[in-house]
Amino acid sequence: MRTHFDVFGLARAYDVDVPALEKQYRELSLQHHPDRVAPGDAKERLKALEGTTALNEAFKTLKDPVRRAFYLLKLHGVDLEREDAGAQKDMPLEFLEEVMELREALDAAMAKKDLARAQAMGTQVGTQRKAALDEAAGALRHLEAAGTPGEEAAAQVRKASHALGRVRYFTRFLEQVDAFEEESLS
Amino acid sequence: MSKNGYLQIHDPLKPKGHAVGIDLGTTNSLVAAVSQGKPRCVPVDDGDALLLPSVVHYGKDGGVVVGARARPLAAAHPTDTIASVKRFMGRSPDDAETRKLGHYDFVPGGKVVRFNVAGGNPVTPIEVSGEILRALKRRAEAHFSGKVEQAVITVPAYFDDAQRQATKDAGRLAGLEVLRLLNEPTAAALAYGLDKGSQGTFAVYDLGGGTFDISILKLVDGVFEVKSTGGDSALGGDDFDRAIAQRVLEALGETSPAPSLVAEVLAASRKAKEALTDAPEVSLRAGGREHPVKRSDFDAWIQPLVQKTGLVCRRAMKDAGVAAGELDGVILVGGATRVPAVRRYVAELFGREPLGDIDPDQVVALGAAVQADLLTNADRQDEVLLLDVIPLSLGLETMGGITEKLIQRNSTIPTAAAQVFTTFKDGQTGLDVHVVQGERELVDDNRSLARFTLSGIPPLAAGMARVEVRFQVDADGILSVSAKEQSTGATQSITVKPSHGLTEEEIERMLLDSIDYAEDDIQARQVREQRVDAERVLAEADRQLREHGALLQAGEKETIDAAMARVREVAQGQDHLKMKEMLHALDEASRPFIERVMNQAITQVVAGHSVEEY
Repeated sequence: MRTHFDVFGLARAYDVDVPALEKQYRELSLQHHPDRVAPGDAKERLKALEGTTALNEAFKTLKDPVRRAFYLLKLHGVDLEREDAGAQKDMPLEFLEEVMELREALDAAMAKKDLARAQAMGTQVGTQRKAALDEAAGALRHLEAAGTPGEEAAAQVRKASHALGRVRYFTRFLEQVDAFEEESLS
Repeated sequence: MSKNGYLQIHDPLKPKGHAVGIDLGTTNSLVAAVSQGKPRCVPVDDGDALLLPSVVHYGKDGGVVVGARARPLAAAHPTDTIASVKRFMGRSPDDAETRKLGHYDFVPGGKVVRFNVAGGNPVTPIEVSGEILRALKRRAEAHFSGKVEQAVITVPAYFDDAQRQATKDAGRLAGLEVLRLLNEPTAAALAYGLDKGSQGTFAVYDLGGGTFDISILKLVDGVFEVKSTGGDSALGGDDFDRAIAQRVLEALGETSPAPSLVAEVLAASRKAKEALTDAPEVSLRAGGREHPVKRSDFDAWIQPLVQKTGLVCRRAMKDAGVAAGELDGVILVGGATRVPAVRRYVAELFGREPLGDIDPDQVVALGAAVQADLLTNADRQDEVLLLDVIPLSLGLETMGGITEKLIQRNSTIPTAAAQVFTTFKDGQTGLDVHVVQGERELVDDNRSLARFTLSGIPPLAAGMARVEVRFQVDADGILSVSAKEQSTGATQSITVKPSHGLTEEEIERMLLDSIDYAEDDIQARQVREQRVDAERVLAEADRQLREHGALLQAGEKETIDAAMARVREVAQGQDHLKMKEMLHALDEASRPFIERVMNQAITQVVAGHSVEEY
């Protein structure tokens, strides 16, 4: 299977040099975009359309540390983006309780139209999200390093998957804060 | 074979055919093309006006009038004279837009808006827009004395799939190959970016008559990348007019004013708004009285509207991951950005003075011309590439009327996404799919794009058949869908037509109708054609006289001028044979002069070669 890393001729790794990736993206776009193909040539245009679609998808995924982490985990067999993903059920109970409490607190702030309170919670959750992403990144770096034995690899996949599960919850929480912010300002 | 001889021979230094950029606006439309490396707008209306009012009048005799001449006909023929047709593109007859204050006679029912007009069948917004595009095409052809068959047409960045599809269909009806639908703010940035050879991140603030758009773009190493876009498709300069009109009607004590008074007050309000750009206070006359309006009052009335744009701008910057301080420039587009309060607000919002040195009315058409040139001119292919985004998320209806987003807004196009569906009943062979566009959670709050049924699924136990549906959005932002049954590998490709669009058959029929109609009335068509020819030849003769006057011999100018005057005179009439005759006479009269012009041009080409070769 051709991975997003293959599209850019990169070795699979968590860390990506984003400015270099952006430069390469522009160069590849200049070469392969449908606009570079004569209007009449249907076959070449279709090829350009498919190639550029894959390039755009790869770029979107690799330039963003969160998307990149989810993608790497998927390459290790855990797809957290699927609705039926088992990872949700797999989350530790205390974390789910924590999330419930956060949600209730946010709902209360929203009911009272307390924007300052919601924003403060957003800042706090933002920090937690960053920490969870760092944890996932650590596990993924470990996994991508050569020669990780099978059993330890499984443990690292679990670690990354739990950390990214938290990232997912926190992201949804932040989206809700954002929506509330927009609503209050309009 | 050229009908009119010498004056239609192409200048050997000029490329054949012109690819143009068209700004198909709510209020006005423009056409521009690149010549000698610079984009320029082409005169398209009486008195060499560059703006063609987007007004189409349908006459009882089946004739169609477009532009400034159509506008005054609205008073006597309100239902036959369609203005602001863009508001109805891709809309259904029950859309809120059709219930706003207006003077049209809509055909009830159906899935596409239709106007009852004089002289024939009801017309759809696609056909009305097609008339505007056809007028622009003809007038550009007259200006260039050559064919115009390819165009880049601009659309508001916030146009959804149905509105884009409708615009593309209108182009086809007008006999244009639509090279690309280009987002208006992107076009504006292109006009600025290339002019100045700049690198950096720009915000384009586009406040037109009826819509507001904001885009954040980044230009690096010849790649113009749209980072995000946002907008409000129901906010524009017209709302500023209404803000004034409302106060005037209150002052007149009118609680339920007659439509004619509303029209009068709105028109006076628009004039007052424009005058307030330069004057601190103006007097507006309506309802038989003078109403003084201070700029400070006007500013206060429109403040809530202007602030609404700020919210959209902040969201767009957030989506782009760019802070106001990181921008290298802010570009203003649209007539409503002439309002001083808007300029001040934009300067404050972005912390810098906006750029406004290209006419905000022309900048979109100029950018479209640049893109048309980039797409057709092989020499320029390596200069700039444009990477645009999809403005609104695409999703599917899931259980309970909830939208599941498949492609997020602001994804770079072309882009694609796939979704696997499983059957939920034993032996199920069909699957209903509902595609929607928008950001809201409930399906009903978003725009319905298409409903279709995937058929031919092998009858298996529930959950066993897996159908992968793939959504592909092309570089125009237009969607197509294909499906594949994973257990058998059977593929099915579906052309998705928007729920509120026209089918391929309907478009084909319209194309045929327009041909049939022309043949019904050969005489009228010949008159029209000869008239267009006359316009074209006169324009060309003018140009040659202006540019190569030095090559004229004694008395020659007088002869040619007299022949031109005769052409002008007969072109007013209805006798196409007479027009043909006079055109021929003009051709004869100018032949020696034109031959000299041609010889000179050829000499220059040869001379150019010799410099290179030796």
